[in-house]
Amino acid sequence: MEQKIANLQSLIEAVVNGENDRSVVLAECLVRDGWVVERLIHEGLTAALRSLDAKCTNEEFNLLEIMLAGRAMMAVMDKVVAKHLSVVTPVMVAPGQTIVLGTIKGDIHELGKHVVKMLLKANGFKVIDIGKDVHPANFVKAAAIEGAASIGVSSLITLTIPYIREIRHILDAEGMQGVTVLAGGAAIQQARPEDLNVDFIAKNAFDALHFLCARPPSST
Amino acid sequence: MTSYERLLSAVQGRRPDRTPVAPEVFGLAARLSGYRIADYVKDGGVIAESQLAARAEGGYDILFAFADLSVEAEALGCVLQFEADAYPSVERPCVRDAKDALELAIPDTARDGRMPVVLDACRRLREAAHDDCVIAACVMGPVSIASQIMGLESFLYLLADSSQKAERVLDFTERVALAYGTALMRAGAHCPVVFDPIASPAVIPPSLFFRHEGPRLKRLFEHFSAEGSPVSWVSIAGDIHKIMPTFRNIGINLATLDYEVPLVDGFRLAGGVALNGNLKPYLFVTQTPEEIKHLVKCCLRDAGKRHNFILGSGCEIPVESIRENLRALVDGVEEYRQEAVA
Repeated sequence: MEQKIANLQSLIEAVVNGENDRSVVLAECLVRDGWVVERLIHEGLTAALRSLDAKCTNEEFNLLEIMLAGRAMMAVMDKVVAKHLSVVTPVMVAPGQTIVLGTIKGDIHELGKHVVKMLLKANGFKVIDIGKDVHPANFVKAAAIEGAASIGVSSLITLTIPYIREIRHILDAEGMQGVTVLAGGAAIQQARPEDLNVDFIAKNAFDALHFLCARPPSST
Repeated sequence: MTSYERLLSAVQGRRPDRTPVAPEVFGLAARLSGYRIADYVKDGGVIAESQLAARAEGGYDILFAFADLSVEAEALGCVLQFEADAYPSVERPCVRDAKDALELAIPDTARDGRMPVVLDACRRLREAAHDDCVIAACVMGPVSIASQIMGLESFLYLLADSSQKAERVLDFTERVALAYGTALMRAGAHCPVVFDPIASPAVIPPSLFFRHEGPRLKRLFEHFSAEGSPVSWVSIAGDIHKIMPTFRNIGINLATLDYEVPLVDGFRLAGGVALNGNLKPYLFVTQTPEEIKHLVKCCLRDAGKRHNFILGSGCEIPVESIRENLRALVDGVEEYRQEAVA
């Protein structure tokens, strides 16, 4: 038992440190030793996420470390967990929400969006990624089709702000006032939500996750 | 004092006649002169004309020979996406992996991409301003060029997974920065500003900055100094608390500081390196000139009696900023000085 706990702790550390291959090997060891995959997810991967979250809260966020940890976590999910489950169990209890995620028209940067997508998926959200350089109306259209409770809009460039503002106007015109709009990305973090006509501006990927998790499930 | 003397005084820690003002005005200059961004980034004449007009209107102390962040990437073969009234960005990296990157040639600065456009802007600005005002030309740093030619995600994974290959790619991009910076100086710029946003602690851990970026910046600045640059100026956005203490040893004598680092912290960490900052750029879009002047005075209060402070924006002042807010910078400095005398 002590060995299993040690391996679990090693798995958490390996994921947080972004050690891709080692995370997979340790996860395989735990499963081979009889650890059920649901426990592996909840006590291993979720604990790793919490550790990363705490790091971000301490202002030590950097994109590369989050990318590496996310890659290690997804490797465990794909190479170990998926083999033992017919349907991959969400890492945490899902708030039952769907979010449409995209980079706004005028911007083609996608990495930040990919990081948010990975984190939200790992936390049980259904993420509809509509890509880059997306017209505001297409965010709303996708939200309507998917019954999404939220729209996440990413941008690195302040010049795109007029397009971000349009999303709320289009939602209102379509009678979709219940859909939450959150924004994130380097340059627009300096703005206030009222400048962008959005409900929330996320400082980083975890900030977006906290905001979405804190909201009650929508009936949209 | 001329603007050149004023700015150099601050960089060298000598008392200027008033606090120098060096806001990052790039595409905004085009807008103020009635040009679209696409015209600005493709025409050295438009860059020079717009820069000179914006400085004349704003009364500040810097001229930037700069088109956009993708000039080096384009010259190396990346495909850019151009918009009529927005900056171009890299649509498609030009190499898939480190091996391909190492087969690239250093660009011919007189021919490749829009490098000749920016060299032309340098020549025109120097002809117009002579040595009355520092003409700063912007060069992307090694980490950012590598991220552009390989794609950010691919390069960051390379940096984490295969340090030696990443080193070789960075050796190449360092040579690109050196060649382009040298050409800009020979065309008329007084100094290159090395922009390396991807080397920010917001993107890579400080340990990787110390290992990969610091030594390369040191070599670049040694070279530019030998070419005659009086200013070794770095601009890395974000919270740079953890990397600032190394700046002095790297040979930096002017660092841009953005709003995420309070000025007081910046001076404590910079070890005598002059600072340019740290107004929040987006406020130039949302605030009135009176509010900007108030914020200028807050910065000046924080800088106290230090001579090595240059008022600036920490990052680019947005293209869509309110015109009058630009003038509010120098006006705020003047008002603060008069209030101090009174």
